[in-house]
Order: sequence, then C-alpha cells, then structure tokens
Amino acid sequence: MSVSVPRELKSLMEEAKKYKIDRIEFGVLSPQIIRKMSVVEVTNELYHDEIGAPMANSILDPRFGAPEPGSYCPICGNDRDHCPGHFGHIELAFPVVNVLFAEYVYNILRGVCHSCGRIKIDPDKIELYISRARFLKEKMPDRYKKFVKKVVKEAYSQQVCPHCGSQNIRIKWEKPYKYYRETPQGQVEMVPSEIRELFERIPDEDLILYGLDKEAARPEWLIFTVLPVPPLTVRPSIQLETGERSEDDLTHKLADIVKINNKIHRDKAAGSVAMALKNDYDALQLHVATYLNNELPGIPPSTHRGTRRLKTLAQRLSGKDGRFRNNLVGKRVDFSARTVISPDSNLNINEVGVPVDVAKKLTVRTIVTPYNIEKLRKYVLNGPDVHPGANYVIKPSKGGIRLYLKYANREFVANSLEVGDIVERHLDDGDIVLFNRQPSLHRMSIMAHVARILPYRTFRLHLTVCPPYNADFDGDEMNMHALQNDEASAEALTLMLVQNQIISPRYGAPIIGFGKDHITSAFLLTGYESTISRDLFYTLVSLVDDIRKFNLVTKAESLGLSGKLLFSLLLPETFTYSLKSKLDEDVIIKRGMLIDGIIDKKSIGAEEADTVLHRLVREYGNDFGGWFITNLARILDNYLARRGFSIGVHHLKLSDEVIAKIREIEDEAIKLVDEAIEKYKRGELELIKGLSAEESLEQKIHEILAHARTEAGRIALEVLSRDNPLYVMTASGARGQEINVAQLTALLGQQTIRGKRIMRGYENRTLSTFKEGDMGARARGFVSSSFFSGLTPVEFFFHSMGGREGLMDTAVKTQQSGYLYRRLAYSLDHLRVDHDFVVRTSDGKIVQFVYGEDSVDPARSDHGRPVNVVRLVESISLLYPKGEKASEKFIDRLLNKVGDEIPISLKEELRETLIKKKASKKVVTEAIRQAVINYRKARVDPGAAVGIVAAQSIGEPGTQMTLRTFHYAGVKEKDVTIGLPRIIEIVDAKQSPSTPRMTIYLKEEYRKSQEMAEKIANRLKSTLLRDVVTESIIDIVNKALMFRLDYEAIESVGITDEKIRKIFSRRYSTELRDGFLVIRLPNKDVEGLKKASERFLKRHIAGVSGIIRVTVEKVYNDELGEEEWVIYTAGSSLKDVLQFEGVDPTRTTTNDIFEIYRVLGIEAARAAIINEIKAVMEEQGLDVDYRHVMLLADMMTRDGVIRQAGRYGIVAVRDSVLAKAAFEITIPVLVDASVSGEKDYLRGPTENIIVGSRIPSGTGSVEIYMEVGGNDKSSDDKKA
Amino acid sequence: MLTGEKKKSKSKSKPSDFGYILKHRLVPEHIILSEEEKREVIEKYAGGDPYKLPYIMSSDPVVQAIGAKPGDVIKIIRKSPTAGVSIYYRLVVK
Repeated sequence: MSVSVPRELKSLMEEAKKYKIDRIEFGVLSPQIIRKMSVVEVTNELYHDEIGAPMANSILDPRFGAPEPGSYCPICGNDRDHCPGHFGHIELAFPVVNVLFAEYVYNILRGVCHSCGRIKIDPDKIELYISRARFLKEKMPDRYKKFVKKVVKEAYSQQVCPHCGSQNIRIKWEKPYKYYRETPQGQVEMVPSEIRELFERIPDEDLILYGLDKEAARPEWLIFTVLPVPPLTVRPSIQLETGERSEDDLTHKLADIVKINNKIHRDKAAGSVAMALKNDYDALQLHVATYLNNELPGIPPSTHRGTRRLKTLAQRLSGKDGRFRNNLVGKRVDFSARTVISPDSNLNINEVGVPVDVAKKLTVRTIVTPYNIEKLRKYVLNGPDVHPGANYVIKPSKGGIRLYLKYANREFVANSLEVGDIVERHLDDGDIVLFNRQPSLHRMSIMAHVARILPYRTFRLHLTVCPPYNADFDGDEMNMHALQNDEASAEALTLMLVQNQIISPRYGAPIIGFGKDHITSAFLLTGYESTISRDLFYTLVSLVDDIRKFNLVTKAESLGLSGKLLFSLLLPETFTYSLKSKLDEDVIIKRGMLIDGIIDKKSIGAEEADTVLHRLVREYGNDFGGWFITNLARILDNYLARRGFSIGVHHLKLSDEVIAKIREIEDEAIKLVDEAIEKYKRGELELIKGLSAEESLEQKIHEILAHARTEAGRIALEVLSRDNPLYVMTASGARGQEINVAQLTALLGQQTIRGKRIMRGYENRTLSTFKEGDMGARARGFVSSSFFSGLTPVEFFFHSMGGREGLMDTAVKTQQSGYLYRRLAYSLDHLRVDHDFVVRTSDGKIVQFVYGEDSVDPARSDHGRPVNVVRLVESISLLYPKGEKASEKFIDRLLNKVGDEIPISLKEELRETLIKKKASKKVVTEAIRQAVINYRKARVDPGAAVGIVAAQSIGEPGTQMTLRTFHYAGVKEKDVTIGLPRIIEIVDAKQSPSTPRMTIYLKEEYRKSQEMAEKIANRLKSTLLRDVVTESIIDIVNKALMFRLDYEAIESVGITDEKIRKIFSRRYSTELRDGFLVIRLPNKDVEGLKKASERFLKRHIAGVSGIIRVTVEKVYNDELGEEEWVIYTAGSSLKDVLQFEGVDPTRTTTNDIFEIYRVLGIEAARAAIINEIKAVMEEQGLDVDYRHVMLLADMMTRDGVIRQAGRYGIVAVRDSVLAKAAFEITIPVLVDASVSGEKDYLRGPTENIIVGSRIPSGTGSVEIYMEVGGNDKSSDDKKA
Repeated sequence: MLTGEKKKSKSKSKPSDFGYILKHRLVPEHIILSEEEKREVIEKYAGGDPYKLPYIMSSDPVVQAIGAKPGDVIKIIRKSPTAGVSIYYRLVVK
C-alpha cells in the first residue's frame, strides 16, 4: 500500500520541488542562532529511565525528532519518515575553542592588539589593505589567502600597536588548542574566555584582513559557549538482535560532554575555585575537540571502551567512506540490475540480453494512452510472474492508489484501466537501457543498449563491444539501468547508443571493432582459403539482416563464390579504398568489391585508425557502421565455427633440423657471452661511452642474447606452415606476436628484473647450483627451453621471478593511474564549451578562446582532423572526372572567399591537395564547399563537457602505460623517465624532473662536424677541479695544498691554469708552480687541510653548473633537410646554456618544465607541457588527441603560473566549496569556506550531483519548451 | 646522482637582456593590445570583466622583454597543431 503522508507536509514537499537551490552559503553559527535553533537544552546525562524510556532533557530526548515508527514528533507532528529532526544545545560551563578553527584563532591572536582590539597595521595603510583584500577576495580568491597571511605576519612583527602604542605580545600556540601569552614572568595560558573577550572587541572592518567575513563568522564565534546537539536523525540508535539498544558514536561522545559539563556546573555552584576546576575544564575541551575531529595530531583518539576509535564529525565527512565521496558524489540508484556477462554473437551490437528474472523485477512506468491501452491491459493480466507483465498499477484518479498486481483481481484491474493511469510494466524487448562496466574510465563505459529479454541468468552482449567496456567473460559482472521516462530514453538513444559511440573521443577512430576470432576468421575467409562451397556461401549470406546488395547475390555464381565476394556483400557500392595489410600487401576495394588483399587487423581491427571499418563509419554513418559490424561479425563467427579452428601442442613442434639450427644460434650466443665475460675479466672489453665496465658488459650481453632470441623467433615463424594456427593468429593480428611464437616453439630467452639480468640471490650467484661469480648467460636467467619443450627447474624459477615482477607492477600501476585519473577529473570536470566555442570553467573563467584551437570535437574528427581532405578530393574527383583544370589562382580565390570560417591548416591542406591532384574547377568548387560543410559538422556541440572527456582521454590510457624507466640503448644522457611516472611528474607540476635532460642544438657554424660539437659539449659540461687534477698533495710543512694539473684536460674544457688559479685567489693565497696549483692555508691544521682539499676538489671551475654528462649525436633535421650534430646532456641549466657560445638559442630545450617557465615564460611552459605529455604517449604507443592534452596544459597554465592537477593546484582554486570538499582535504576546505563566508553557486557538475540537481552542461545546459495546443500554426507544422 | 641538482642563477637581468628568449621556438609571439583592442577583447570574451581572462604574471620573462605592464592584455599568436594558427589572450597581473 502507498505510504500516507500528512497532507500539509506533502504539499510542502511538492512546493519544495518547484524550487531550485540557488546557492549554499557557508558560515559559523553564533551562540544566539544555536540557542534559537534549539528545541531542547541537554542537562541530563542519563540516557533512559528505569523502564527504558528516553529521559527528558537527555541526549535522547524525544524532541530531537525521529520518533519510533508509528509515533509522532512532539515538535513538528510528523511521523518517523517525515520528521527532519530538531537541534538541541548544551550550555557549556566554560567556553572552549572550536579546534577546527584553532589556526584562525592563532592568527587573530597574533595580529590583534591585545589592548585596543585593532589589527596592528598602520592606520594609514589599513584602508589600502582592506580595499586590496576586498578586491582579491572577489577576483582572485587564491591570492586573497596569501595576502591575509602576509598582513597577519606584518601585524605580528610590529613592536608596538600603531593604534594605541601598547607593546606587542608574543603568542605561542600549543597544538591543537592551547594558547600562551609570553610575559616577563614566563608563559601564561590564555583561556578561551579571555580570548573570547578580546575577540569581541575586534571591529567588523578589520575582519577581512584575518580572512574572516563579518556576516559569516565573528571571531568570538570561533570559541564555543554553547554547543549545538544534532538531532537523532543524524545519530540514530540501533536495536541489536538481542533487543539491546546501541547508540551512535556521536551520542556517546555527546554524553561524555554532558557528563563533564554537568560536573563543572555543579562544582562551580558549590563554589570551587578556578584552579580546582582546571582538570575538568581540560577534559571538557578535550571532549569537545574529539567530538569534532577524532584524528587530531597530539591527542589520543577517543575509543569505544578502549577498542574501536570513535567516528566523530570530521571522520563522517572525509575520506573514501565519508559522506562526500560515499553518499553525495556517488549515490545508490533504483531500477538497476547486476549479473555476470556472457557473449552472444547472434545479438545486434546495440542489444543487450537481459535475463527474464531481471526483466520481471525492473519496471518501466508507462502512462496509459489510447494508443497503448490494449497492450498494457495484456501486461496487467499477465501480472508480476509472467514475463511481459506488470507489477503495479497507479491510479491518479483514485488519489494515487498503488495496486500490487500479484494479489489484485487482475482481470478487474485490466478492465478498469483508463487513460492517465500509470502501469509499472516489466522491462521488455526494445526498451532502452544503460549498460555499464566498472571501472568506468571513459564515456564508452556506459552506453545505451536495446533490451532483449532472454532466458537464463546472465547479461548477454556482443563481442565487438568488449573493447569499450574492457570486458571479458572470465566472470565479469556488469550493471544495467532501466530508463524511466521517454525524455531519458530519447536522450540515451541519440547520444549514448552503441553505434553512436563507435568513434572514440580519445583519438577519433573506432574503439568498437573486431578482435581475436573475428580477425582470424576474416583472414581465413578472405585469404588463402578464399573459395568456399556453395552451401556454405549461401548459408552465410542468409545470416545477413536486411541485405542491401541483392543484385550482387544474384550475380554471385558468375563471379565465383569466394570469401572476398562474401565480404564485398556488406560493402556499399560506392566504397573505394585501399590500404596496406598487416603483411604489407595491398588491400584494394573498388566500388564495393574487395578486389585484392586479405582482410586482417589493419582492415577491421578495433582501436585502429584508417581501417576499412573507420572509413565506412565515417563516410556512411554510425547506423551503417553498426549494421556492418553486426552482420560481418555474424558471418565471421559462423564461418569460423563451421570451418573449425583450434590449436594443440603439435602445432608448436618444430622439426629436428630447425631445432638444431636454433640450438646453434643459442650456442653461438652463449659462446659470445662467455668471450665477452673473459674480455671483461682481463679488462679488455671495449667500453660503451658513458658506461662503466660492468655496465658495458651487461649491455653487450643483453644485445647478444636479445639478438639470439629474435633470430630464433624469426626462424621459428618462418618455418610455420600457412595453416598453422600460430601463423594465422600472428599474421592476421588476431593475437600474439613474433616473440610469443618464439617463446612457445624455440626459446624463452633472457628473463629480466628491472630491465636487468637476474642478479639477486646468494652472494655473487643467483642460485646454489651455480659457481660463485658465474656471470654466464644461464647463471643470470637466460632460459633456452621453450614452452613446448618445458623448462628446467632453474629456468622455471627465473621465469617466475620475471612473472612476479609483472604482477607487482600491475598492482602498483592500477593504484597510481587511478589516482592520476581522479586528480585529472577533479581538475577538469567543470570545463565546458559555451555557445561561442570558448571553453570556460563553471564560474566563467576563460580557459581556451576556441576549444582545441579549431573547435573540432575529436569524436567527430577523422583521427584528429576535421576533414579527411585526401579522401574528400578523391571521391569528388570520381564523381566529376572531366573538366577544365583549375589554376592556383582559382583555388586561392575560392579559399579566400571562405574566409576564416575554416582553420588555416585545413585551408592549406585543401590548397596543397587540390594543386597536387590537378583538380578541375568543378572538383575544386565542390571540394571546398563540402570541406566547409564537413568542418561545420565536426565542430563541438555548445555545452559539451570537454573537460571530463579530456581527463578521461589522458587518465584511461594511464592503466596501459609502463611503470618503469626505459633504458635508451645504454646512452645515459637519453635515459629519461617515461611512462606513467613521467606523466604523473608533469601533471604534479614537480619543481624539477627526476631525470633532467637537455637537447642542445648548435649554431650553423658548429653543427656540421663532430669535432666542433664535441668541443662545445666538453666546454658545456660542468667541470670540477677534480676533473683536471691528476694528483693532490697536502704539504703539512708549508700548510698548503698542491694539485698537479692535467693540462690536456684543462684545454679540452676550454680554460687555462691561470683561470683556475683566479677562482681560488679571491680568498686564498695561490700560485702556479711546476705544473702544480698551490693554495696556501696557513691557519689550518692537518685535519683542516684534508677537509679543504676535499672541498676544493669538488669546486666547479668551468662549464655550466648542472650539466653533468654530455654526449653528441648525429640527427637528421627535417627542416634543414640535412644531418646535424646535436648535444644531449644529463642535467639541465637552460638559462646558462642558451647564452653559451655556439649554442642555437632558438631550438635548444630541456625537459624541465619549471626551468622553461622561469626562463622562457608561461606560454613556453604550456608548449613544453603539451610536448612532454604527447611525447610520453607516443613513446608508449598510445593515441591521444592533441586537444585533450592542450586543454590540460591550458588549464594548468591559465593563471600565469604552473598549477598542478591536484589538491594544491587547479582543484584548490575551483570556485565550488562542495567540489573541493569532495576531492580531498575535506575538513580544511569546509573550515575555510565557513570562516570566509564563501558561497557555492552550484554551477559545476560535482556540486549539482551532490545536491541532486541537473548538471548545467551538455543537454542539461538548455531547456526545451513546447507549445501545447492553442496555436494553430504550430499544430499545422506538426501535421506537415 | 643525476637527480635534484638544481641551481637557480638569480642574477638580476635588465629587460633588454631577455631579448633572446623571444626568438626561442617555444615562445609564441606576444603583442600588447591597444586600449581599444583590449576593451573589445574583454567585452567579447569576458563580458566586461578582465579578470575572467587567463593571466600572465608581470614577472614573466616575456612580459618583461616586451615591456608590458599590469592591466595590459597580451595577444598571443600560437602555432597550433590543429588549426595552424591560434590566438590566445592573457591579462598581465602582478
């Protein structure tokens, strides 16, 4: 039965629904307000009386609200479900500090004059400061906080008060809540009552200089005199199974406070002296402090009978399980289902198989209309237990009565069904539902599907939608949400339907596409087995829904029945395309016919750009794309199932001759390794530049063994027959690469830990089977068995070591990338594109003047470009093959006419392509016209939430990045931090990178020869005295240090001995004698001389300090069209290097972003952030659109300084208090907001989720109005 | 050790010393807007409130090099990987 709501309250609730929350104001409660709010003063420290009823004036007083079920609230008269609860209060016997505000109290105590109550700022300056503070508070809130700090510091540094001339008093703050005043007699505690009195004298106008707002927080309110007691709804008691009552942690804490407070009241009344009350007063302060925050540093947390820590107010709000993250930003929902998923290749890609059991529980509220009344009657008759049935009928005409159909007379209900009734019918075929798999890392993690009710108990989905969900079927579960109204369904259908998500906004290419079996099947079908039987051919044709090329089917016999023809059946007749297959053969499609080539991953694979699939989806639309994927998948699945495809151990067996060959390679490699080790031991090993002997040896061994494995792999792959499944899978790109084949059939190769051979274990050996000091291949983890032959115990052990490292990395990586993603999301989620294509934050600050600089939506782009010019010109040329050739002038004139409607880069590309193609006038006109149209279509929708998409596009690939640094072929100067750690470093805005590196380009006259480059490199390198000294002597007799100089070294770094002497001559008496630098230190003893010698040797004497290592390399320069010598360095010092003789100051860069910021400014820093992030992504083989990276960089540099994407950077300057509180450091955010009277205008997404209202971006940023009846004209329009 | 070695050269350079940085590849062209252009930009993009624009510090080396003052709006002509050329504005703040 329906819940009965008291009439009055219901109308109030209805009334409230009409209003939107405009803003939330934060502030501190004054004692007056606390008392005014209170309905009960708590004076009774007991909970219950003898019969177990809550005592009056206790903390369980019924007036706190939330009565027992069935009873009514004594204050508001509502029942339990509708009484909001009411506050009470405790009159404190002594004022106590509100610990949360302790730091503010401290700052005020320091800034205020203890005699006159004014801030100790010169009266002449005070006006200026106040107006500056007002300005900053409004326009640059983050600067305001810094300004306050500065002002308070200035006030505190005054010797005497500029207003009354009294002496400054030094204040000591003993965290968390004690304050002392320093007097000539020693430290004297300032009790809260004293502080309160002082604070009361502070004039309103001074408050802004302390960071306080006069309306929101008078300073004396930071000290409690009366404590509010929250209603029972906030701290409900629970009934244990034993019948015992258990009270909430807050209730316990409040009870402690009441107890001690009553004791003080009693003792005071009995006339105890203040000193005697001191202990009790301290206890009261402690209880109030822990009531607010039970994790205060330096204070033992309150516990529940010495065991569990109490969860008090601060703990309730903060952290992952706190109110914000657990209940406000993440909410539980109705109308959802969750179960295991399994594949079903008979479904359409946009369908989801829903178990009947789920369909019978999940209902859709349907309003009865004349059009659906018959259908709904049937549903009603079926009732809750038969599938297309209904569970409830609601009759608004009968006062909203809600009938449960299980026990109702269904025939009667069905017959009395009338228009306007609401039927809660079962979910049925064709309903739109949302389908989701966690973690929801990008927007394709939630897509709209069409429900298909099926037997059994799992959700069924199409295999090609696995990549966007990142789903497999090893036990994965997914969630489904049934949409409840037509508006939601319509929106989901247009925006979220699977085929409308085929193109990923991360890189502008299909994320939905074929994988594994489908690719194998396509490879076989269109490849060497291409001819197929009649029977099979027509069987497969019959699988296609809604076949579009019947004429081709009729002609099939004459064309020859083949897999290629079958594939062609699905291609549009106008489609022409060619590309290179994975085996680097041509794939040619002409007018919808696959003429030549084998279809493989490059043609139809998921997560690949410029495939056949990509072209089809782009050029024939998402719906066609969906149809193509569904039907091709069906053909491919059936073909493979009928043909059969399996793999067994016999496929891994190589012939004896091949094995012998591989053994030969292996033996050769091991021999080479042994030789290298011998050489190393004899000290004859040729060193690799910049590496020690050991490092050189390891490097060498690595190379030898890696070569052996690739060689073996190559041979193994070569001999595989073309019908070997290993070959089929690797060649088609379905699964596995050369290395996997090599490991299965030939040999596993070197096992590594941290990119090195296995070194750990016993002393000088890895395992006790090896001799001590054995550095040979096998003793350090080289595995010469294959998975087929099986591993020896020792090999197995090494292999497990490598495997374990992989597992550990994955565990760490998921955490790190998860946190990176969270930070990016909170830094960017409040950005959106406005109607003028300007990207603004939710409070209107401009981030980009044109989104992505060309206003193109990556999801509508062709792999980043708005228009695929080459394709466009090609297809138009086919339509208009003849015609007068257009002159360059003609092209330019037309392009000029377009003006700045399309971006310059697009214009240039058009111009170049049209000229190159020698296009006709007609083609030129048409191409330019269509380019403009296509560009317009590719632009973002106003209101688009581009920020969160950018965060997703950078955060989601984080899980796929490597964790460790990569050793760049042993060249240390190029060995930089890459992968996830580097991205985190950049996004964190770390002051200096963990591996600072420079790329130094040279001026024309120096870059041509290695000699010149090396000369400059050597001069750049930071040289210490040590580097040019061959011997150092301590002359004890003459009290001097003598350093024998290496003149060759001195010359190579480009200085002279005299210069070195001068460095030291400034402070010491020096001399150059017989090739020695002599420094006299007459006042030092032997120890002092030794120490000085050490110090001097480390003295920087030449080069650029900070440049630790240098190397030169010949690099091809695209722009110059020639090779040049470039210097790479470890260590970085941009400013000095740029001004160094011979260095090209226009191209030389560093990977230290802050250094670029300091030397070249914020714009250069922005460019550097983009380049660095892009470089890491590219190196990792991850495709991320430029626009996402640019948006992040623009946001990080928006305020003219580099801000990290995190709690002290971008998030800290967000305007919404709620969004900040939901991110991290919840309590300080709320405290600052209260004290300074911040207001949250609920303009961003997070805030609106928290308060439960619609997010003002995307479709939420517009309203749709429709005229209903009345106007004749509009109804005419509808008919037409 | 390669890490953490950092020495800031804190020599006070005169504005003219910054000239060379303007030629660096990473530094796009910065132009100080005239009063009228400035008003137009603020009106068009920021609805009259200059503080809605992105900022650039008055201590920024490029600002020093071109001699912009707090309150100026700087037009930045960036090379864009997507659009070819792109315009950005920043308000000079202290």
